[in-house]
Amino acid sequence: MPKVFVDGVEVEADARDNLIEAARRIGVHIPYFCYHPRLSVAGQCRMCLVETSDAPGRLLPGCQVKVKEGMKIVTNSPAVKENQRGCMEFHLVNHPVDCAICDQSGECKLQDYYMDYDHQPSRIRVNKLNKPKREVFGPLVVYDAERCIMCTRCVRFMDEIAQEPQLAVVDRGSHSLIATFPGQPLDSNYSGNTVDICPVGALLNRDFRFQSRVWFVDKSPTVCTGCSNGCNVYAESRGNLIYRLLPRRNEEVNQVWMCDEGRLTYHASNEKRVEWGEVQKAIELLKPLTGKPGIAVAISAQCTNEEATSAFLLGAELGASRYFLCGKPPGKHDDFLVRGDKNPNTRGVQLAAQAFGVTLEEAAAIDGSVKALVAFRTDGLTKLPKPPEVFVAISQNEFEASVVLPCESVYEQDGSLVNWYGRLQRTWDSVPAPRGDAAPAWRWAERILTGLGATNGPQSAADAFEALAQRLPDLQGLRFEQIPDDGIVLKNQLPSEWPARAPRP
Amino acid sequence: MTDSLAVESELPTSLMTVNLGPSHPAMHGTVRLTVTLDGETIIEAIPEIGFLHRGFSKSSEQSTWHQVLPYTDRLNYVSPILNNVGYILGVEKLIGIKDTERSQYLRVLMGEISRITDHLTCVGAIGLELGAFTVFLYAMEARELLWDRIAELTGARVTTSWTRVGGVATDMPPGWEQKLRDCLPRVLELTDEIDQLLTRNRIFIDRTRDIGIISAEDAVDFGFTGPCLRACGVNYDVRKAHPYLVYDRMDFTVPLGERGDTYDRYVLRLQEIKQSYRIVLQCLEQMPPGPIIIDDWRYALPPKKDVFGSIEGVMAHFKLIMEGIQVPAGEVYVYTEGANGELGFHLVSNGKGKPYAIQVRGPGLPILSALPHLIKGHAVADLIPIFDSINMIGGEVEQ
Repeated sequence: MPKVFVDGVEVEADARDNLIEAARRIGVHIPYFCYHPRLSVAGQCRMCLVETSDAPGRLLPGCQVKVKEGMKIVTNSPAVKENQRGCMEFHLVNHPVDCAICDQSGECKLQDYYMDYDHQPSRIRVNKLNKPKREVFGPLVVYDAERCIMCTRCVRFMDEIAQEPQLAVVDRGSHSLIATFPGQPLDSNYSGNTVDICPVGALLNRDFRFQSRVWFVDKSPTVCTGCSNGCNVYAESRGNLIYRLLPRRNEEVNQVWMCDEGRLTYHASNEKRVEWGEVQKAIELLKPLTGKPGIAVAISAQCTNEEATSAFLLGAELGASRYFLCGKPPGKHDDFLVRGDKNPNTRGVQLAAQAFGVTLEEAAAIDGSVKALVAFRTDGLTKLPKPPEVFVAISQNEFEASVVLPCESVYEQDGSLVNWYGRLQRTWDSVPAPRGDAAPAWRWAERILTGLGATNGPQSAADAFEALAQRLPDLQGLRFEQIPDDGIVLKNQLPSEWPARAPRP
Repeated sequence: MTDSLAVESELPTSLMTVNLGPSHPAMHGTVRLTVTLDGETIIEAIPEIGFLHRGFSKSSEQSTWHQVLPYTDRLNYVSPILNNVGYILGVEKLIGIKDTERSQYLRVLMGEISRITDHLTCVGAIGLELGAFTVFLYAMEARELLWDRIAELTGARVTTSWTRVGGVATDMPPGWEQKLRDCLPRVLELTDEIDQLLTRNRIFIDRTRDIGIISAEDAVDFGFTGPCLRACGVNYDVRKAHPYLVYDRMDFTVPLGERGDTYDRYVLRLQEIKQSYRIVLQCLEQMPPGPIIIDDWRYALPPKKDVFGSIEGVMAHFKLIMEGIQVPAGEVYVYTEGANGELGFHLVSNGKGKPYAIQVRGPGLPILSALPHLIKGHAVADLIPIFDSINMIGGEVEQ
C-alpha cells in the first residue's frame, strides 16, 4: 500500500492505482477523456497531465503513471491548469457548433470540462475542418466525425471487452477519424457500449437519437429483462414511456456493460400494451369452476417472484390441477453477458414452484384436458393448438383470450428476480406515470382472490415476497426491503459451470 | 346635550372587535388587522400576515442562482430594482467578484430612481387616505414618469429582474439619459406641490402630528431601519454607515426626524426623494463608459454572436442556462439600504449550482410587528395614516 501525497494530502493508495485513481480516493478529480478504468491506457487526450515529484518541471499523464511510495502529485499548479486550458482549446478547434442538435448535450464531457477548465472565447479565425457527419456504423450506432475528439475509447472497447475488433482509427493528424472496416459494419452485440463510453456526441445510439433531451428523462435503477443474466441497468423515462436503458455498475453481474439486445427490451414496455381490463368478468368466469377438474395456471418466466408467488396462491384457491411454465424461446448466447435463456426469472419461478410444492410442466403440454387457464403473463402462449374455453390472461402486451387484464412490465413495478446463477435482485418502479389500468400481476391475482372470497391475496410486493420467503428455506427470514440494491446471492443455487468471461460473485 | 352624554356614559358598554382587511381598500396589499375597540379608541390591533406568502425561500432552493432574481422582484414590488441589487451583491460576494464600474453606477442610479418611486407611493397613499386625492394623483404622475424610464431601460415597469451576476442586463438606450434629465424636474416639481399641499396643511398636521409615536429606543429595540427609524432621530443609513457600490462617491445627506410620529415619517420621505434626486444627477455626471457586465463566461452569458457562432460560446451558454452559475460553498449576509430600511439577504451555497438556503430580512417585518405598539390608544381614524406611514409592503414582509 504505497503512500502518496495528492496536493499535499496523504493518500493510502493501492499499488495498482494510477495517479487518477489515487487522487479519486480523496475526491480530487483529475480530468480525462480517453482514460477508462476498464480499458487499456492510451494517453490520447492529455487532459490528465499533472506534476509529480518524480519528474520535476515536466507534466506526466495521470492515466499512465502508476503510484510510487512517497510520490508527491500536484493537480492544481498553474502549469497543470494552463495545460488543461490549452487542451480544451485544442479539443474545440474543429468541434462543430452542435450542442443544440446534439443528443449528448447535457451529459457531454466537453461541455463540463469547458466550463471547469477553459471558459474562454474561441481564438480560431479560420474555418473548421469538415468531416463525415452521419456515418452509420451499424444497426445501433451512428458516428459523427466532426464531434469526435479521437479518444479511441470505442476502438479499445471493441478490441478488449467485446473482443470483436470492428473499429479502427484511419487517416492522420486532424484528419483522423474512427471507421469500420470495408464490408464489416459495427454489428457486435455490444456495440451500444461504445455510445455509453463516448465522452462526447460522436457515437450516438440510433434507437435513442432525437427521441428526447437527456435532461427531460429521469434515471431510475432496475434490472434488464432481456435474458437470465439480469444485467443491472438504469431506465430513463418520462411520462409512461421509457426512452432508453443504460448499464448500471455491478461487478458481479455485468460490470459496467450490457448487450444491445437488452438495450431494446424496453420497447415491449412502451408499445402494443393492454391498457384496460374487467376483473369482474374474470371472477364471474372462474367462480363456478373453482374446485372442478381441468383448471390450470400458466406462469411466464418473465414474471417477478412476487407475481409467480401470487399465481401459486391463486392456483391453490382455484384448486388448479396443473401448472405450466411458459416464457420466451431460448436464443443466442455467448461467454460474456448474454445467456441463452431469454427470460429474466426462470430460476425464480422454479424456486417459487418448489416452495409451493408444485410441479411445473412445459407450456407445450397444454392440451384439451385444460378447461380453464389463468395465465400470468402470456409469453409463449400466443399459438396454443387448443386454447382452453375459459382463458384469463394477465398480459402486458396485446393478447387474445376470454378476459385480458393489463399487466405492468417489470420496469414499471417493484419486485425481485433471480438470475441464472441464483442472484436475487430488486427491480423498482422506474416509470412515473401509470398506463391505463395496468397493475402488477400479483395485484390482479389479489383482486381475483378477493372476488372468490379468499383473504390471502398479497396487498403489496413486500407481502407477496413474504409469502414466498416463508415457504422457501433459501430466503427464510429475508424481507423484501432487506434485499440489497445490488442483489444477494442464494448460495445453494450457484452453478458448477460458468461461461468463460461471465462476471461472477 | 350634557345630560344625554351623562346618560350614555352610564350605559353598559362592551368591547367590539372588528376586522380591517384583508381586502379593505385602505389596507395596502392584503393584510388583516383585528382591532379591538372601546368606542372609538383602539385597545388592541393585531396584524395578521401571510396572505401574500409565496414561499420565497423554498422556491429559491429549487432555482438556479439567476432564477431567483424574478422572485426578488416580488419582494418589495414598489422598488424591485433595490431588491435585485441587494440579492445580486450577495451572490457576487459569495463568488468573490465585483461588477464593472459602469454597472455599479447604473445600479445606484436605478436604485435611487426606485427609491423615489417607492417614497412617492407611500406619500401619495397617505394623502389619498386622508382625503387628499390630488396628492395621490400628483404622486402617481411622478411615479409613472419614472416607471416609464425604468421600463425603457430594463424592459419592465415593475418585474425588472435587471441585475446579473457581475453586472446588469441592459445599458441605457440611446437618448434615455436626456429623457431622464427632462422628466426629473417635473418629478421634483410634483414633489414640491405635494409638499406645499400637505406639509403645512392644518388638517394634515392635526391628523398626523404626534400620532403613532415611537421612541428611538423602542424603534431600535423593535429592529426599525430606514425612514421609520430615522424619523425617530437615529442616524443609520446603510448607504452612509457601510457604503456599498459607489455610494461613498456620492454627496448626499441623511435627513433625520425628531419625534418619530406619522408626520415625521411623511416629511422624511419627501426629503429623501430630494436626496435621491441629487444622487441620480451625480451618477449621470460621474458614470464612466464601458462594459455593463464582466467578461467572464463562468458567470456572464457570452455575447449572442459567440453563442451562435462558436462552440465555446454555445457551451458556456448551455451550461449557464441549464445548470446555472457555479457558486462556491459558503455563507454570506449582505445588507443594503432598501426603500423601507435595511434589506438583508442571507445566502447559503453548498456549491451545487442552486442556493442551499436563502433568507431575507425584509425591512417591513420588524416595523409591522411594532404596529400594535404604535396604534394602541389612538382613535380608529388614526389607524389608517399610521399604517400608511410605516409603508408595509406585503411582498417583502410575507415573502
